[in-house]
Amino acid sequence: MELGEAWDMLMQQRQPVMVGATLSGSQDVIVFAVPVQHGSYGGFDYDAIAVCYTNMDLAASLNVDAFSGQGRCFVIHNDGRVLLSTQAGGNVFENYLVYLKAVSDLKEEELTQMQTDWQNGTAGLLQCDIGGVGHCILYQPVGYQDYFLLSVVPQNAVSAGFLSVQKTTMDVLFVIFLLLTAAMILMFIVRSHNQSRKSRMELQYRERMFDVLSNNVDDIFIMLNAENYQVDYISPNIERLLGLPVSEVRENIKALEKCALGRDIVIPKEELEAISVNDKKNWEYEYMHQTTGERRFYRMTAYCMSIQDVRKYIVMLSDRTQEKQMNQQLQEALTAARSANEAKSNFLSNMSHDIRTPMNAIVGFAMLLEKDADNADKVREYIGKITASSHHLLSLINDVLDMSKIESGKTSLNVDRFSLPELLEELSIILMPQAKAKGQSFRTYVQGAPPEQIVGDRLRLNQILLNLLSNAIKYTQDGGKIEFTVCELPTAAPQYVKLQFVVRDNGIGMSEEFQKHIFAPFSREISSVTNKVQGTGLGMAITKNLVDLMGGIIRVESAPGEGSTFTVELSFVLPEQEEEEAWYSQKVTRVLVADDEEDVCLDVKEMMRDTGVEVSCVTDGEAAVEMAVGAHERGEDYNVILLDWKMPGMNGVETARRIRDRVGEEVPILVLTSYDWSEIETEARQAGINAFMPKPFFVSTFWQTIKPLFIDYAETREIEVETPKSVMNGRRFLVAEDNELNAEILTEMLNIEGADSELAVNGKEAVEMFEKSEPGYYDMILMDVQMPVMNGYEATRQIRAGSHPGAKTIPIAAMTANTFAEDVRDAMDAGMDGHLAKPIDMDAVRELVGRLLSQADRNKAEVIAAEGGNGG
Amino acid sequence: MIKRCISILLAVVTVLSMTSCSIGKSGGKEQITLTIMGKKTDLAKSYMTDIFERYEKETGNKLDIVAYEDADYEAEAAARFAKGDVPDVFLHFHNADLNDFDVANNFYYLNNEAWVSDLTDSAREYCEDRDGNLLGLPFWESSVSGCYYNKTILDSLGLKPATKQAEFDVLCQALADAGYTPICWPGNGCSWMIQFGLDPVFADDPQILEKINKNEITYADIPEVTDMVQWVSDAAAKGWFGDDYMNTGWSEISPVLSSGEAVMTFIWDTWFYTDFEAENQYTVDDFALMPVFMNTVDGGTYEGGNLNMMMVNKNGAQVEAALDFLSFCATPENYNAAFDGISTVSCFKGQTTNIQSPMVTDAGDSIAANCRVSTAASRVIGYSADEVAAIFKDMFLGRVDAAGCVKRMDESRIATAGREGVDGF
Repeated sequence: MELGEAWDMLMQQRQPVMVGATLSGSQDVIVFAVPVQHGSYGGFDYDAIAVCYTNMDLAASLNVDAFSGQGRCFVIHNDGRVLLSTQAGGNVFENYLVYLKAVSDLKEEELTQMQTDWQNGTAGLLQCDIGGVGHCILYQPVGYQDYFLLSVVPQNAVSAGFLSVQKTTMDVLFVIFLLLTAAMILMFIVRSHNQSRKSRMELQYRERMFDVLSNNVDDIFIMLNAENYQVDYISPNIERLLGLPVSEVRENIKALEKCALGRDIVIPKEELEAISVNDKKNWEYEYMHQTTGERRFYRMTAYCMSIQDVRKYIVMLSDRTQEKQMNQQLQEALTAARSANEAKSNFLSNMSHDIRTPMNAIVGFAMLLEKDADNADKVREYIGKITASSHHLLSLINDVLDMSKIESGKTSLNVDRFSLPELLEELSIILMPQAKAKGQSFRTYVQGAPPEQIVGDRLRLNQILLNLLSNAIKYTQDGGKIEFTVCELPTAAPQYVKLQFVVRDNGIGMSEEFQKHIFAPFSREISSVTNKVQGTGLGMAITKNLVDLMGGIIRVESAPGEGSTFTVELSFVLPEQEEEEAWYSQKVTRVLVADDEEDVCLDVKEMMRDTGVEVSCVTDGEAAVEMAVGAHERGEDYNVILLDWKMPGMNGVETARRIRDRVGEEVPILVLTSYDWSEIETEARQAGINAFMPKPFFVSTFWQTIKPLFIDYAETREIEVETPKSVMNGRRFLVAEDNELNAEILTEMLNIEGADSELAVNGKEAVEMFEKSEPGYYDMILMDVQMPVMNGYEATRQIRAGSHPGAKTIPIAAMTANTFAEDVRDAMDAGMDGHLAKPIDMDAVRELVGRLLSQADRNKAEVIAAEGGNGG
Repeated sequence: MIKRCISILLAVVTVLSMTSCSIGKSGGKEQITLTIMGKKTDLAKSYMTDIFERYEKETGNKLDIVAYEDADYEAEAAARFAKGDVPDVFLHFHNADLNDFDVANNFYYLNNEAWVSDLTDSAREYCEDRDGNLLGLPFWESSVSGCYYNKTILDSLGLKPATKQAEFDVLCQALADAGYTPICWPGNGCSWMIQFGLDPVFADDPQILEKINKNEITYADIPEVTDMVQWVSDAAAKGWFGDDYMNTGWSEISPVLSSGEAVMTFIWDTWFYTDFEAENQYTVDDFALMPVFMNTVDGGTYEGGNLNMMMVNKNGAQVEAALDFLSFCATPENYNAAFDGISTVSCFKGQTTNIQSPMVTDAGDSIAANCRVSTAASRVIGYSADEVAAIFKDMFLGRVDAAGCVKRMDESRIATAGREGVDGF
């Protein structure tokens, strides 16, 4: 505030001062100052007390209410200049004397008198007309320098007598007003100073106490002014709990938003404003500590208070992390329990449906069978359907039990050395008829030279591959193509071999969506094609679990309508190398291979590389004849000729016939085929073919196949030629079965196959019957496992341990409803040679019995041949 | 001065009327005749006649000046436009009435003309539409509108100019008491005065402008508008506009002020140099400037320049020639010659020969604090100065009260916007 030099001078003379000034912000003020005794207040020295009024306030004080606001007051200098006007909002009168001269009807002498009064400091009263309206003009010196109080009031607003009273009253009031105001100001200053000091100290003490308290708890307290959201208070522990400086939050409450995760607004104004006084509202946010990055959950509770009629919000942030985590864990547990329950319900629902479906067919057709018992065609039709439904039901039960065992973690691997070629041959034998029935091409390829002997769980591997291949056949249309490829993958560990099995078909394929859960239990894609195919929906789940159990991987690539490719990669232990008897080294040095698939020729060459045998390849029958004849004419006959059965142009049988015609009977000719050769066996043997070899080609199978031919070619040939078509025909079986019904079924079935059977009702009786029999009387024993008196395992052990000449060699097959791998293993451990699951499937019986009897026959032939060799 | 200008104009029109076709041969060069349409008084401004003569002389081309009486201009021009008779160059202020002329489809956007960079920011801003397109060349006197008062009279009465609305009211009453007409209010066509009062309402709060232009609020929803209308009504009733204000029109302002009958009016400084004729006691030197007080903003307001724009018919046969004409006008040597000695705020950065009135210079601080760009007339969609003037006239005649006046202002605005197909109306 600039007050001018006059101010300084008057103050030095210790005179009272009244001066007009302008505050910043263009507010006009008048300052009244009175010199006092020198003093000091709060470190401030003073010599006068001054009161500063805004003109507006003074104008309001001077306004004369008695005239209903029609009067106007001015503080004017004695020359007419207006210092202050009561006009609300400002003043446009520069000099009221000039104005009066211009607009009033005051005569010259009246104006002169008034001016004289003003110069002399004399009060006065005039009446005049301004703007056509009569006015009273009253002037009164204020006793302060040369200033006058000038009142201009319309005459119609006041009577002359009242004006006189008013004049006196105004004088008195004005003086009293000034004195009282000055006194009150002084009192107010002193009192407010003391009071504010006391209040301040009390407040500081309380604040300190609260700070100490809040600093030691994990709740943050904030007090907000509801009008402007200014922070009135914040507990200092916010720095410890959220890593936010107190000053930052105090400056702007929005600083809290830095910590809140996933929230743009932490203090939602609209929601706060909706809280009634003495009510509260809660929110829950996740906050991140600004220094440590730690995330914690806080519950924010806002209370609305009215403090001295001012609306305030008290916001409390309480750490709820532990409670939140506990809730989360409980929620997860609840979800898991619900999932388990749901899975159980799904399982029961699926099982109920899947079991009832074939059961319905069985029951239904059985009823129809009774009704149409006299109609042979209907009977056959119904029996066929009952049989199919029974098989499906059986496979479902097997799968469910298998799955249950896998999921319960009770499945273990039965690791042993086994022959890969044999496994592949078995698969081919089982699957080929199925593929043939649908007119499908089923090919097995072996790429490279994988080891033939490996150590692993043969049964589980068989199960995996059987599942994949039978699915491929099932879900490929008639006339489709299925390829099964086995190859060796590189591995860093020399004692292991990693094999890749690829099953590829051009069948119906699968949608991308289905592929995501193909390995889940009861997953079957719903389509018009799959709906016609029976399946439990458990096969792939079992397969996946088995692959996992064996430490391998399985993957699938497929597209609807374009077929599927399943790839399984498994590692196996390599067995210790056994010294093989190289019986062939002198007898087999040159082999001719004819196959229209060049890859097969190359595979044979690759596999035979280490044997030292020279392999010549041709890709058609004519070339094979030419090569064989040429070699013969040179006197360099091939030791073995290997012919593919199905070649374009001249097939394998015809090629063999022509070779025989030109070369003679000496050179062994084998047919290499992936098809069931039974239908051409007679024709082939008449054409001069000595033996059949399944594809894919394996060296060990090759040696095994040709060995009898070289050791005693003629005799072996005789034996093979005489081999009956039905392996069970004319055989005698010892059947150990305690259940009369099962025993009847079995003996009847064997009878149908042309075999004889004798029944033992328990294990002990079976042992006794075998011991008492002549050597070779029984060709095979079919042994139930669970029997009274003596079970099948024990009986087998006793038979094997017995002194009967055939004790070690007679084939014994288990017949049991215990179908798990462990059961199979137990059977083998007991000395059995095979395992048949109940209910008895005659196809399975034929397959197993055929295999075991063939093996026994081969052993017998070898023994005979060996005895003959030794004798020769 | 006006008579002289009209004489020159008539001479030009006479010469041009003798030209039978718009394009002819002159000295081997193709002679072009451009049609320019505007208000009679606008076209008669000295700087306008100067530039027209200069153009014809230097280019050999001709200008066909089509001038209408001020009162008839909007209607006559609109009728010609409706018939497809659009002049090559069209003169109009950037106000709501311009919307009647289908600006987007009739006029060439001048954004890329070479002279654009020479325009002052405020001039360019005035001439741009809401999308920032430059509609015309601001070849006009740019002035400051405010309350011009006779300082000699105020001094003689011991009065000083007002700085607040309340002071202004006291001042008016003090002048009235002294026997003067405080404000010269041309009740017979006060088309420009109302917008001064409305400017702060819309310029100070763009949200209000946005809402009214989206038809989300009306004038009636804005207290300041009603306050202003009521103040005008009260002022008239108190006699602050004098007794004969309903017969006061544009041409009466000058004699009323120069005689000292009225002390103040709401006008612009250039008017004192182009239209004010000091035929009586007072001259331009007796006047000074303070803000307009119309009860919408306590500190009063000034309005920045309202500019007449030259716009080019983009569908005409002589677009290039019309653009060349504008370029001619925007050439520094030409505009400096035309505006030599004219009191105006510069429209061009290179403008050096114009002068600034002492009234504006003296009120510099106050103008800096309270000046607003012309907003109500040019930015409020549907605002029509003439219609507003007519509505106020009805209020002065007692046909409607203040609330009714506001209501009719709203109806007029909304109807105009609706006719123009503005979204939301």
